[in-house]
Amino acid sequence: MISPELKKVILTELNLDDFNLQDETMAPEVPGWDSLNHVNIILAVEKSFNVKFKSYEVLRLKNVGDLQKLVDLKTGK
Amino acid sequence: MDTIRLDDSKTLWERWQRNAIKNPEREAIVHCVAGEEPTRWTYRSLIETAKKISVKIREAGIRKGDVCAIIMHHNPMFYPLYLGISRTGALPAVLAYPNPRLHPEKFRQGVEGMSQRSGLDYILTETDLDPVIRPLIEKPGSTIKSVFFPLEWDIKNNIDPAADAEIEQISASVKENDPILLQHSSGTTGLQKPVVLSHRAILNHVENLGNGFRLTDNDKIVSWLPLYHDFGLIACLHIPLAYGITVVQINPFEWVLAPILLLEAITKERGTLTCLPNFAYNVLAEKIHDDELNEINLESMRLLVNAAEPVRHDSHQKFVAKFVKYGLNPLSLAVLYGMAEVTLGLTVTVPGKPITELVVDRNELSRGVVKLADNNSVKRVCVSSGRLLNGCEARIVDENRKDIADGLVGEVAVKSVSMFDGYRNYPEKTAEVVEDGWYFSGDYGFRYNDEFFIIGRKKDLIIVAGKNIYPEDIEDALNHLKGIIPGRVIAFGEEDEKMGTEQIAVIAETKAESEKEKNDLRMDILKAGMAIDINIHKVYLVPSRWLIKSSAGKPSRKANKERIMTNEDKQVWSR
Repeated sequence: MISPELKKVILTELNLDDFNLQDETMAPEVPGWDSLNHVNIILAVEKSFNVKFKSYEVLRLKNVGDLQKLVDLKTGK
Repeated sequence: MDTIRLDDSKTLWERWQRNAIKNPEREAIVHCVAGEEPTRWTYRSLIETAKKISVKIREAGIRKGDVCAIIMHHNPMFYPLYLGISRTGALPAVLAYPNPRLHPEKFRQGVEGMSQRSGLDYILTETDLDPVIRPLIEKPGSTIKSVFFPLEWDIKNNIDPAADAEIEQISASVKENDPILLQHSSGTTGLQKPVVLSHRAILNHVENLGNGFRLTDNDKIVSWLPLYHDFGLIACLHIPLAYGITVVQINPFEWVLAPILLLEAITKERGTLTCLPNFAYNVLAEKIHDDELNEINLESMRLLVNAAEPVRHDSHQKFVAKFVKYGLNPLSLAVLYGMAEVTLGLTVTVPGKPITELVVDRNELSRGVVKLADNNSVKRVCVSSGRLLNGCEARIVDENRKDIADGLVGEVAVKSVSMFDGYRNYPEKTAEVVEDGWYFSGDYGFRYNDEFFIIGRKKDLIIVAGKNIYPEDIEDALNHLKGIIPGRVIAFGEEDEKMGTEQIAVIAETKAESEKEKNDLRMDILKAGMAIDINIHKVYLVPSRWLIKSSAGKPSRKANKERIMTNEDKQVWSR
C-alpha cells in the first residue's frame, strides 16, 4: 500500500493533482514519469524522507510498491 | 603514445577480420549489465560468433543488399549479430526497442512508416515483439518479408565450412562503395529520414574522426549511448572496432536510472574516452550522492566528448567543479558537432586544449551579428564546436545560400568525404537539403578564427537529452483530442537549465473555461504524449484565435513560442 506521504511527494514532483498510485504501478504508466524525470523523483523522495538510496537499490525498483518498501526499510518502518 | 596506423581495408568486415588476426585476444567489447560480471568479447570470439550468425542469416534467406532492422534490448549477442549481417552484405539498421510507455499500435505505425520509407526487408528482434510485428508482415504492400528471433538461434555447433566459404565469397564481392548500414533520424510517424552510408564513408569517417580524437592503441571507449543513435553507433561501436581498440558498453536504460554506472565502468576498466550529450554532464554533476563516489577515479580519462545537443557552458562548469577532485582533467572536455548526413562528425575541438568560449552580446547575436560583449551587454556564452575534421568543408550561408562573412550568423552548409548519398527513397527531401554537393544542415552558427559555434536551428526540431523529436509528431498526436480546437496546437522545445537540455512544451487553443476542464485537458494531453513515448513537460492553454499564424496559414511555432516566452498574458493558462 502506498503511503499518502510518498504519493504526495511523487505527485508534487510530477505536477499532478491526483493519480491512482498502486503497489504495482510502474513509472511508464504515470504521466510525466519518464527516465529523465526518474532521477528527480528519487531525489525528491530522498529529501522528503531524509534518507539516501544507493544506485543499485534504485536500479532494482520495478514499481511504486518497491519504492514504498525501500522507503519503509530506510525509515525503519 | 602508440598512434594507430589503419590498413587499406575496403570494407568494414575486412577491417574487423584483420583486427582479429592482428590482436585476437584483445578485448573488442566489454558488455556491462549492472550487478553482473561483464561479457567480454575478444576480437577473435566476436568474429567467430559473427561468422556463425552469418550462416544463420543466409539460411534465413537474407541476401546481400537486404535491409535488416535490429530491435533488441541491451544484449551481448547484438554485436556479433550486427557484424554477421554485415558479413553477408546485408544492411543492419538499428531501431530503438519500444519503451513500455509507447502504445503498441503507435510502435507498429512507426515501424510501418519507417519500412515504407526505408524499405525494411527483415526484422530481427526478440520473441516478445512477435505479436506486434507479425501483423505488419501480413499487411498488403508491406516491404517486410519476415521476422526472425536471433537470440533463439542455436550457434553452438561448429560452422559448416561450405556455408562459411560461400558467405566469405559474398563478403569478398562487397565493394567499398556498397552500402554498409542504414541510420534513421528520430521521429515516430514516418517523418524519419533514412540515411544509407557506404563502407567507404564509414571507413573515411572513422579515420578522420579517430584522428580528430587523437586515438591511440591505448584508448578504451566507455559508452552508455544507445546504438540506434548515430553518436552511439558510429563513435562508440564503429570507431573502436575499426581501430581495433576496446569499447565498454553500458545499458542505456540502466545508466539513466543509475548514472554512476558510467563512472564505475571508467574506474574499473580504466576508460580513456567517453561520449555524452550535454544533459548527461548535468545529471552526473548533480544527481549522484558524494558518498557513492568514494571509489571513483577519472584520472585515466583523456577525452569526454559533448555532442548530440546544444553544448552549454554551465554544464561543463558544473561537471568540472564536481569531478576535479576525482581525478578529472578539465582539459579532457571536448566538443563535437555533426550530423548523420556526414556519418557523424564535422568539427571537433582539439583534445587536451581548452575549449574556446566567446562571451558575446546576446541582443546583437539575435540580430545575426557576433559582437564580443562589453559592460553594457546582455551576455551569452557561446561554446566552440572546434575546427573542421579532415575531409570536411563548411560554409556559413544566408537564406539564399550565399556565403556570408565570418562573425555573422547563418546556416551551416557542409561537405564531407563521408557524406551520405541522399535519403533513401526520399528524393524530394534530399533535393530540399542538398545543392551542388553541399548539405544544408538547418543549424545556425558562425565561424570565428576558424572555429565553428552552433547557436540554434532553422528547423523546429526539438532535442531532448540528445534525442531528436519532430514537433509534428506531437501535434499530430494531440490534434484530435477532445477539447483542443482542431489544427490549433503547436509543440516546441523549452530550455531547462537545471537539466541542461530542452523539454517539450505545447500550446493548444481550447474552449475549456473552468479550472477543472483545463486540468482534465492537460491530463489528456500528457497521456496522448505518453502514447507516443513523448513526455510533455509544460502545457499552455489559450483561447480560440490566440495562436499567431504563419504566412502559410498554419500556427507558427517560432512566433508563438516567442509570444509565450516574452509576454505575460492573462489569457494563458499554464501548468
